[in-house]
Amino acid sequence: MSLWENIKMALMSVKAHKMRSILTMLGIIIGVAAVIVVVAIGQGGEAMLKSQIAGDGNTIEVFYQPSEEEMQQGKWEENPFTQEDIRQLEGIEKVSNVVASSSEFSTARLREEETETSITGINEAYLDVNQLKVEKGRSFTSADFLGGRRVAIVSAAMQEELFEGKSPIGEIIRIGVQPVEVIGVLEKPTGLFAFGSVETYIPWTAMRNMLGTSNYSQVTLQVENADDIQPIGERATTVLNQLHDTDDSYQVINMEEIAQGIGQVTTIMTTIIGSIAGISLLVGGIGVMNIMLVSVTERTREIGIRKSLGATRQQILLQFLVESIILTLIGGIIGIILGAGTAYLVSFFADWPSLISWQVVLGAVLFSMLIGVAFGLLPANKASRLDPIDSLRYE
Amino acid sequence: MIQLEEITKSYTLGKEAVNVLRGISLQIKSGEFVAIMGPSGSGKSTLMNIIGCLDRPTTGSYFLNEEDVSQHKDHELAKVRNQSIGFVFQQFQLLPRLTALKNVELPMVYAGASKQEREERARDALAKVGLQDRVGHLPNELSGGQKQRVAIARALVNDPSLILADEPTGALDTATSVAIMDLFVQLNQEGTTIVVVTHEPEVAEYASRVIYVRDGLLGQNPLEKGGQTS
Repeated sequence: MSLWENIKMALMSVKAHKMRSILTMLGIIIGVAAVIVVVAIGQGGEAMLKSQIAGDGNTIEVFYQPSEEEMQQGKWEENPFTQEDIRQLEGIEKVSNVVASSSEFSTARLREEETETSITGINEAYLDVNQLKVEKGRSFTSADFLGGRRVAIVSAAMQEELFEGKSPIGEIIRIGVQPVEVIGVLEKPTGLFAFGSVETYIPWTAMRNMLGTSNYSQVTLQVENADDIQPIGERATTVLNQLHDTDDSYQVINMEEIAQGIGQVTTIMTTIIGSIAGISLLVGGIGVMNIMLVSVTERTREIGIRKSLGATRQQILLQFLVESIILTLIGGIIGIILGAGTAYLVSFFADWPSLISWQVVLGAVLFSMLIGVAFGLLPANKASRLDPIDSLRYE
Repeated sequence: MIQLEEITKSYTLGKEAVNVLRGISLQIKSGEFVAIMGPSGSGKSTLMNIIGCLDRPTTGSYFLNEEDVSQHKDHELAKVRNQSIGFVFQQFQLLPRLTALKNVELPMVYAGASKQEREERARDALAKVGLQDRVGHLPNELSGGQKQRVAIARALVNDPSLILADEPTGALDTATSVAIMDLFVQLNQEGTTIVVVTHEPEVAEYASRVIYVRDGLLGQNPLEKGGQTS
């Protein structure tokens, strides 16, 4: 007797007792759905946290943090990245952009109004890599950077502060005593950790001309492939430490370690909640065993008939085992659909990403089948051991 | 074809051993129509279970088609039941959720026949018992006589050397009983060996030989003997 024959038979038997089958499956359905939801939300949260901490995953900031020894030797620099440094960094393989900037606080004036603002002198890659979009007016051109033109792009908060919401395009503001023409306004930032601050961006070359800033204070590398981030970051620090003849003043934060830390925390959380959900799967499995035992008793005569017609013990065993596997498998599949739907709803209404990986789905299917086997064995074994004579007489 | 040698069967009920069969030897030749008779408690059901390979004797040997089946393991007995024996029961013993056709196909399912072959042979068997227009009916849509015909078709379908019928007319009215017994006679004339277990003399009359069981032993016809003495 083929397996397909057994599966068809099992499906028929499941269909014959619709209500009972659904109730039996319910435990499995709820268990699987709960596990899927918990894991999906856990993994989604992990991915969100990681992306927020590590940015979009393909940028890495280089820090300047000289050792105390070097500080005492007077090696400390306010703007530790030279233009030569930037050129060298740009020469590193797989680095797609080097974002460099230097910023300081200053007062900006428009006629009688004035406000404190951070003035950031940026290089050409800055706006793109930091995903700052110009909403009104125009962005910087290469000519602005090359010529050190005194043009500025202001944040939305700055527009509120200094221009009282009116269009600042074309206005001349004074930074310190230097006049700068406003050419654009940035989009308001969105997202969980974003707040609008009062900012003014000008080409770094303009800043050098205006304020005498000699070097860059901040450098961020953008790499082509997020996987290469760590080795390229390390390479950059080596290059910089060599150029400046320093030991370990130029550093990168090990994003992998941070991501791993977050991963560990969320994995532990997901495991704990997931195993609580898993208990309901266990209870569901016991429900399946219970019903299968009832079913064996109820079908004693059927078993007797089948045995008298030549069914072996193995064939009877397989019949009932397949039946319990089918029950749990169908329950598992319904649970997956239900769980995926719930996870989707949660992420839709709670604005929390959920991630349903194929591994979890496959795991849920296999696990519910495993439950079918584990909790089906006892009833199936009982069925297979029934004596044909007694079973035929069973009323 | 059937050869029983000194078959005994005992059960232990609690601490007591009950000897149901106490040494039965008999032979049934291929093509015979034999009735086994005896009062209830005589051991005739146990004898039938042993002949039908549903049970093993405690001692003694049982040769079915020259094969000693008395020491067979469970799965070997299952194969013998499947290939060599067709059962017909008093309560028909059809699976209620399967159509007549599917019920008849069952022994072939366990024999591993292909779907097409199964359906073909099941239809032939149902036609043989006169139910060619009832193949798609469920058992509860059939009369008692029709159910028993389905059961006979199922017994026939693997082409067994022996059909074993346990009170086949016990649940049927007289007219239907006659029809069913006629069917057995017809099958017997076509060459199938038939053993009928019954306590009804009317049924036993169809057989060419009657075996009496009493207190676990073979006996003589009590009616004939009683008739002669009184």
